[in-house]
Amino acid sequence: MVQARRLNRPLSLLTSALALGLACGLAGCQRQAGKQSLAASTNQLVVASKNRIDTVDPAGAYTFGAMQLLSAIGDPLYAIDPGGQIQPKLALALPQVSADGLTVRVALRQGVRFHDGTPFNAAAMVFTLQRFLAIGKLSYLLGDRVQSVGAIGPYTLELRLKRPFAAMAPLLSAVNLTPLSPTAYRNHANRFLNDRFVGTGPYRLTFFSDQQQRLEPFAGYWGKPPANGGINLVALSNSTALFGALTSGEVDVLLSTSLEIDQQAALHRSALRHKLREGQGPALEIGYLSLLTDQPPLQSPGLRRAIALSLDRRTISQRVTLGLRAPLRDLVPPSLVGSDPQAWPSYNPKAARALYRQAGYCKGKRLSLPLTFRSNVPSDRLFALTWQAQLRQDLGDCVSLEVTGMEATTAYRQLGDGAFTMILLDWMGDFPDPDNYLVPLLGCDQAQGNRCLKGASAASGSFWSQPGLEQALQRSASLSGPGRAALLRRIQRQTAAATPYLPVWLVAPRAWAQRRVSQPRFDGSGRLLLQDLRTSGAPR
Amino acid sequence: MSRRSDLLRYLAARLALAPVMVWLIASLVFLLLRVAPGDPIDALLGSRAPAAARAALRAQLGLDQPLWHQYGHFLNQLLHGELGQSLTNQEPVTAVIRQSLPASLELGVVALVLAAVVGLAVGFSGVARPEGRLDLAGRLYGIGTYALPPFWAAMVVQLVFAVWLGWLPVGGRFPPTLIPPTGSGFYLLESLRAGLGTGHWHQLLGTVRHLVLPAGTLGLLLSGIFANALRLNLRRALDSDYVEAARSRGLGEGRVILRHALPNALLPVLTITGITVASLIGGALLIEVTYSWPGIAFRLQEAIGQRDYPLVQGIVVVVAALVVMVTVAVDLVVAMLDPRIRF
Repeated sequence: MVQARRLNRPLSLLTSALALGLACGLAGCQRQAGKQSLAASTNQLVVASKNRIDTVDPAGAYTFGAMQLLSAIGDPLYAIDPGGQIQPKLALALPQVSADGLTVRVALRQGVRFHDGTPFNAAAMVFTLQRFLAIGKLSYLLGDRVQSVGAIGPYTLELRLKRPFAAMAPLLSAVNLTPLSPTAYRNHANRFLNDRFVGTGPYRLTFFSDQQQRLEPFAGYWGKPPANGGINLVALSNSTALFGALTSGEVDVLLSTSLEIDQQAALHRSALRHKLREGQGPALEIGYLSLLTDQPPLQSPGLRRAIALSLDRRTISQRVTLGLRAPLRDLVPPSLVGSDPQAWPSYNPKAARALYRQAGYCKGKRLSLPLTFRSNVPSDRLFALTWQAQLRQDLGDCVSLEVTGMEATTAYRQLGDGAFTMILLDWMGDFPDPDNYLVPLLGCDQAQGNRCLKGASAASGSFWSQPGLEQALQRSASLSGPGRAALLRRIQRQTAAATPYLPVWLVAPRAWAQRRVSQPRFDGSGRLLLQDLRTSGAPR
Repeated sequence: MSRRSDLLRYLAARLALAPVMVWLIASLVFLLLRVAPGDPIDALLGSRAPAAARAALRAQLGLDQPLWHQYGHFLNQLLHGELGQSLTNQEPVTAVIRQSLPASLELGVVALVLAAVVGLAVGFSGVARPEGRLDLAGRLYGIGTYALPPFWAAMVVQLVFAVWLGWLPVGGRFPPTLIPPTGSGFYLLESLRAGLGTGHWHQLLGTVRHLVLPAGTLGLLLSGIFANALRLNLRRALDSDYVEAARSRGLGEGRVILRHALPNALLPVLTITGITVASLIGGALLIEVTYSWPGIAFRLQEAIGQRDYPLVQGIVVVVAALVVMVTVAVDLVVAMLDPRIRF
């Protein structure tokens, strides 16, 4: 035993020495690596988000992260500026529409080159659009509206439409339609090119992995060059890591996508105390409740109205999102034409109680209302619990909420089967146009009275329609100006009266930057303008 | 029959069973994925894409075919060494695995080495004075690290060393301002090779810096198993007759421990190492998620969320095959080293 103790002593000493050496070595390594990173990052910025990117091919991209990346390395024909106005980008002017509304011509900018030096022209644009129609995951965006695509001159694009569509310019602002070099994509005309991108944007993509991308300024860019020396996009998988990365100074800019609400609120408070810079984009994502209108108990319009009057959006917004998500009483975001901010009724427990009474409740009988929320979306769960508590407090004798969580993909699968009496969902249009908010919720291919048998309304879980509604939606797509705005408001008022949906809140993208970085700005499509970010020159 | 031929027969039997096990696992995963609620089309397009677009994508991905047809296609691909294409980006599944698996293996190997070194040191440290303070501390360490919830421990470590102290990065596998090394996907090896070739060590330093927290956390959490296993087996070995016999022959205590007791005590530890390696190949999901480590478990979790059937099937098949291989190898090594093993 004595010898064993003797044996242990040098072993312990050796272990301690090794551990100490390793720790010292690593500390040295860290400092050294830090210096190298700084050297490499001169005038370059690190922008973090939760968005891992599977593909950088515009035909295959559909996630927020991929769209954000594409908006920096590609140039669509049109862009929506921070003020919400449509601006020509690779187009020279707004589209020219024929008298019958079925032909659209777009004059293209000359002298633009792709990142590989290939000249941009109408043939390249035709190649891009036909490729998207052939293999695009979201090809229906174009395919549902466009009959054919052609070039009628070296710099003039012509689109033949299936039916008149007024919002062609916003549609052509979709980053999925950003032009691609026909030379670079020659061998990928019918399949995705996931890890490379050759477009015309202010940045070139010089490195791509699903977790990390490097963007370097494109020397041959036709427009205003980026204000920084490049962007390193990095994805961190959880909210705490993202929050920690910004607060520890490891990253320069942080995007709010998928960041927990309380952490967003903490960053917001830091920005108010001038410790960070905060930027907010246009609120284009809506949170809403879908009500099953063709089954009891919610087949009664009176009861649906009572529920609409029972939702205290202001309290819920404060409690659940700490005021970061504005209460919403409209299906069309306020920045878009045709929005009607007071289309749905505000919270009125007295009126709600009267309607519950009319339906036979509150007199010793309580309506048990199932609410499903997506269990993998933290704010949804908080909403469900908060509303449940609010109803118990204000209308506890009339209605009680039975809340159930379900994983999102599972819930989506069952939505069109009419599985949910009431479910909390969210939606953001593929491009900023009111049609992209109303048609996916109200469109109906086949209806029977007020019941939608087949179409978007059924797929959204409400199964609600109204005679003439589909025609009104189609008419709105062909109109523009005040006439369209009036029609859209009328559609919303009719929808609000029937209450197949309950708008809840409005989500705006946010970004936070270190003090030495300029204030983050978003374009009108809700994408961070990476090329506008600049540093004050102070080292990280 | 000689022991060698017995061993070869045992090896042949294990190897013959391996494909059967992989086939069973692959079939089970294939069926479970289809039975589980959720639809890849919903995951890809959302629930509001037009019915025609959904049907077109379903046909394009082959999901409109009858189940038996899809299963036949899957098995046929598997027999030809193909795993199909990911539904989300049409990338070959083998390419996705090739990107993710080295990350998990790198993390696993470093964590395992750390776990073995620390665990064995702790387990060995109490041998001099059983029930003494050092032994008690080692036992507490073993129980404590084994009982700690990995996600909690990882988050606390991340919070302290990355956020509060700012010593190490919060996550990721490589500094975002540097271009990762290309080649095998093992950043540690590749950046070491690059350093030896160019004399610039920033890639290696960046890799080590990002590896410290995830590998350290995982290694320390696993080290308790090694510590307890060695401690118990060493204690048992030291109380055995052959150790008493060695002592009675006048051998020194150090020699008794190192030459007689330790090799026997390490045999069960070898089995535990095999099991741990097998579990690490599948990845340490919570560690990978917490530290944004782009490994195979993290990828599998995402693929399940996206209902990316081919990717889930491919990852499970590859991981199952590796686990079977490691298990067979460990069984074989133990059988070779331990003459008491009968087969």
